[in-house]
Formats: sequence, C-alpha cells, structure tokens
Amino acid sequence: MTETRSMTRGKAGMPVYINRRLMNYYWERLKKNRLSLVGLGFIVFLALVGIFGPLFVQDPQKVDFEIKNMPPLGCSIQESVYDIKTSEFTTTLINGRADHPLGTDSKGRDMLAMLIAGSRISLLVGLLASGMAIFLGTFIGVLSAYLGGWVDNALMRFTDIMMTFPFFLLLVLIVFIFGPSLAIIVLVIGLTGWTGAARLIRSEALSLRTRDFITASKALGASDARVMFNHLIPNVISLIIVMATLSIPGVIMAEAALSFIGLGDPMSTSWGTILNTGQHSLDTAWWVAVEPGIMLFFTVLSFNFFGDGLRDAFDPKASV
Amino acid sequence: MTADTVLEVKNLKTWFYTRRGIVKAVNGVDFTLRRGECLCLVGESGCGKTVTALSILRLFDSPPGRIVEGEVIYKGLDLASCTIQRLRQIRGKDIAMVFQNAQSALNPVFTIGDQIVEQINAHGQVSRADAVAKACRLLEEMKISQPERALKMYPHQMSGGMKQRAMIAMSLSCDPCILIADEPTTAVDVTIRAQIMHILQELKANRDMSIIFITHDLSLVREIGDRAAVFYGGKVVEVDTVEHILESPAHPYTIGLMRCLPDISTDSKRLPSIPGNTPNPIDMPAGCSFHPRCQEVMEVCHSKDPALMNIAGVHAVACHLFSAAGGKN
Repeated sequence: MTETRSMTRGKAGMPVYINRRLMNYYWERLKKNRLSLVGLGFIVFLALVGIFGPLFVQDPQKVDFEIKNMPPLGCSIQESVYDIKTSEFTTTLINGRADHPLGTDSKGRDMLAMLIAGSRISLLVGLLASGMAIFLGTFIGVLSAYLGGWVDNALMRFTDIMMTFPFFLLLVLIVFIFGPSLAIIVLVIGLTGWTGAARLIRSEALSLRTRDFITASKALGASDARVMFNHLIPNVISLIIVMATLSIPGVIMAEAALSFIGLGDPMSTSWGTILNTGQHSLDTAWWVAVEPGIMLFFTVLSFNFFGDGLRDAFDPKASV
Repeated sequence: MTADTVLEVKNLKTWFYTRRGIVKAVNGVDFTLRRGECLCLVGESGCGKTVTALSILRLFDSPPGRIVEGEVIYKGLDLASCTIQRLRQIRGKDIAMVFQNAQSALNPVFTIGDQIVEQINAHGQVSRADAVAKACRLLEEMKISQPERALKMYPHQMSGGMKQRAMIAMSLSCDPCILIADEPTTAVDVTIRAQIMHILQELKANRDMSIIFITHDLSLVREIGDRAAVFYGGKVVEVDTVEHILESPAHPYTIGLMRCLPDISTDSKRLPSIPGNTPNPIDMPAGCSFHPRCQEVMEVCHSKDPALMNIAGVHAVACHLFSAAGGKN
C-alpha cells in the first residue's frame, strides 16, 4: 500500500492533480499562439543542444593559432600579411571551412563549440537562478499574505529594502568580493531576484486567502502549512509558471552582461565572454561578436514569446 | 450541564477591533447543544449568528476579531481558550462546518475526490485506496449519482446542489459528532434545498449527530429544528422548542419576527414589519438592545440589559417583561 501511496502522492502529501484534459485544454490554447510555439520550439532546440551538443564538438577552450579568425562557412575575408623579407603585402582570400562551420575566434577556438557550451551555461544559469528566485518569491509572498499582521509588514518592508538595491551593482560588487564563479552568479541572481515574484504572489494569495475554501479547509482541521502548501500554492501555480518563464531571459541577459564586462566565470565559456572577445575585432572578425549576439537575441525572444503564450493560455479571461 | 449536552456556549463575546470602533458582533451568547438534536440559530442579517458559529471553532480573522469573554465547552475542553493545535484536532474531526456558498468553499483547482481524500488524510493516516472508498461512500450517502465519476470532477463541473452535497460529504469525512451548517441552502434553489434538508434530517437520525443550523428562513426551522435560539444584536433573546417559538413566542422581538411571516390564510396586501433598523453593532443602544424598536418598551429597558432567564424548563427568554419566577409580569 505504501507503494501506491508514494506513486500517487507527492512527498508533501499533496494530491496529484495533473488532469490530462486540463493539460490538453491549456495545450490547445497555447497552440493557437504561433509565436509562442516557435518560442517553445527554439527553447527545446536550445535545451537539446545544451545537453547533448558538447558531446559532438571539440573542446571549446582548445586554442590553435594556425586557424585563428576563420570566417563562417560560406563567407570569406581578405587577409593581408606583411612579409618582412620581401617587404610587401600579400593578400590572401580565406574561405570558411567545413570543420569550423561557424568560424573561429582570434585564438582559433571553434565558434560552434563555444556557442554550444555557452547555451549550456545560459540555460543552466537561467533555470537555476530564476527557479531559486521564484521559489523564494513564492514562499515569501504566500507566507506574507497568509500570516498577515506584523509578519506581512516585516516581510514586505524587507522586500522593499531588497528592491532598492541596484541589482546589477550588487552583482558586480559580490562577484568582485567573492571572485567570479558560476555558483556565485546563480546565488546572487536567485537571492536578489525574488522581490517582484514575492509582491505578485502576495497580492494573488491575499485575494485567495479570504475565499471561503480557505476558511473551509481550516474549519475541517487543516494546519497553516497545509492550507498554504496544499491550497494556496496550487491556486497560484499558473502564475508561478508564467513568471518563471518570463524571468529567465532577464537572468540570461544578466549573466551575459556580467561575462561581457569580464566578471563571468573564467573557467566556462558563456555567450557573454564570446561577445567580449569579439568586440575588439568587430571590424575584421565580425562573426565572433555577431553569432553569440544572435543566439542571445533569439533565446530571450523565445522565452518572452513562450511566456506570453503561457500567460494567455492560463488566463481564462484571455481570448486566444 | 446535563449528560446529553455535547456543546455548551457560555457568555460568549467575540468583538472585532476595527478602526471605526469595537464591533460587538457576539456579545454574550449562551446556549447548549444536546446529543442528536438540531438547534437552529435564527435572526436577522448581522445579528451575530454566523460569527457565533465561527467563534465555536475560532475561525474568524484574528486580528481584528477576538474572543474577549466566555467559554465554549466541548467534552470538558474550553475551545475558546485551548491551544490552536488542540483546536485543530477538533476541527473537522469532532465539529465540522458547512458553508453557505459551496461554490467558493471548494478549492477550484482540485477534484472533489482529492479534496475529500485530503480531508480524510488531515486527521490520521489512511491509505489512499481506503480514503477513496470512504469518499465514494460519503458521496453515495449524499445521494450523488455515480459517485465514482463525481470524485473525478472539479467543482466548476458540478451543479450548485451537487457542490453543496459534496461539501457536506467533505465535512462528514471524519465522522464528526457536531455539524455546524451556516445557511447551507441560501445559495441553492428550492428543489435542491429540499434535498439538502432531507439529507440533514437523515444525518441527524442515522448518525445521531447534533446539528447547529443557522438560517433566517423560518420555514426551514419548522422543518428540521428541535429547538431554536433567536438572536438579536449579538445576543440570544429567546430559546425554546421550535413549536413554542413558532406558535407562542414570548420575546417581543420573536413575536415581531413571526408576524413578519407571510400568512397565506389572511389576505392582507402588506406584510407587517418590525419598525426601525437593526442596531449598529459599534454603537449598541444602552439597556436592552431591542428597546428602540420594542412595542412594549418600559422604563427599565432603557438602562438595564435583561439577562437570559429560564422560564419553564426548556424555555429561556431575555426580557424585562418576564421575571425569573416565570410567567409574564
């Protein structure tokens, strides 16, 4: 019997309420929004690339000056080399090569391998940091709304204080103090990014708290924790999902920006780091900066489109 | 306290400390509930019936609400002052509550089955299969056709009557011995009302359950009630058997209330009403709170608040017209 219980009930004793018909309903609504499907497609593609891609390409950190500044496949650049012996310029045409389809950077590192490694980093940071932020935000928001009184006051004033910190400056400061590492970046974004979520969840939970079913579950003997986790949070789960999806691009951008200004994790290749190396040679090897830029652009756009689609699908008042 | 008393409310006062003043929603309520009886709490809107019911299980928002005085004795335990942990064990398991609006009293994101099973699990560990079987039995007892199917339904997929019955099933999931029903039929139509009243009557008979039935509909009182407590201005003004209350009320307010019932045998064009309005709970009149509207007001009513006095056995009334010895002065 314990086996069936663990199968049908979550760890917190929460009843499993995934309803296939409801899921189908949301899926049908989401499907009507073409842009969000495109977004979802790109996110899935990126996730697959991030998970399996590194297995198929060379080491992104491998330096080879013999093949530096190779243009992408199908493009070509002219390279002029000054020969000291003959004291004249020889200009050669360099074509993209199939073994480096997206070209190489100024140190001869393969762009494709670096971009794939970067997508892994970006997704990892995006998911972990916004997951952490949303988790904290939900917890603080629900706690604040449900308990009310001085707890609510204290938590919300704390949220206000957190909101007044210039987030990016704080990030820079902490990375400067503790040294750049991916874990620090994730932690800082996660520990500072929950404020908006907390506010939103609190306001939603406040209106739910006065609903009769909360009083009813209390009347039938539910503890505060049970009311919060089994009744309040499941009612805001759609809000949480949408908020998480829409907060991921911001986190990805923050990580890229940090890496761009040189405060990223030096041990890992992120889109921001590639952008940083590419900016010095924008006039000659344009692809080094443009390629990660395009990736960032499409990733952020995809998450935004998908998040918008999800929000409309979950909103019963929205006509899709 | 006699042997068959299951719940005793003594001088209960629940006040709400609001910005505009102290709202004395419940201001000295006394009544007892006996085993297997249905006690009706009757009165106008805002007279403190619902707050009394909520106070029994301490379900009002606190702050601003607070029980300032009084006791709610259940099995020798004072629910008004015991720890919240102890009270939580009583809620649902010994004393359950049914709310007026089942639509909003059911959680919209869970199926009925999940909610009942959750409720069963909240009080003691039962295997899921057993809990589901019990939920199914309960729905069957509530005369819901195809209970297995109903278990998998979400509240919005049910009709109003089904929701109300599912709500009652949920409150019965831990076999409580007292059921507090707060206007359970206000939000449903007459046919469903008949069904629900029938179910409540069966519960009383089959399970030997005590019911506190809150209503402002006197026809329902006649149908289900054994005794009735008439509320006015946060106090009980008269307690008696339902027959006596309906046929020969003693308190001027109860008399006025009964006169307001439309009578099919007379053909008066206009319904009589009690003059004046319900008192403002922040600023209750001094003395007897009913005196500004009372037809038989006396000098003493302006200054002295009458206590609830036993007249003869079951009958108690709070009015200066009656003396402790019994009978009208």
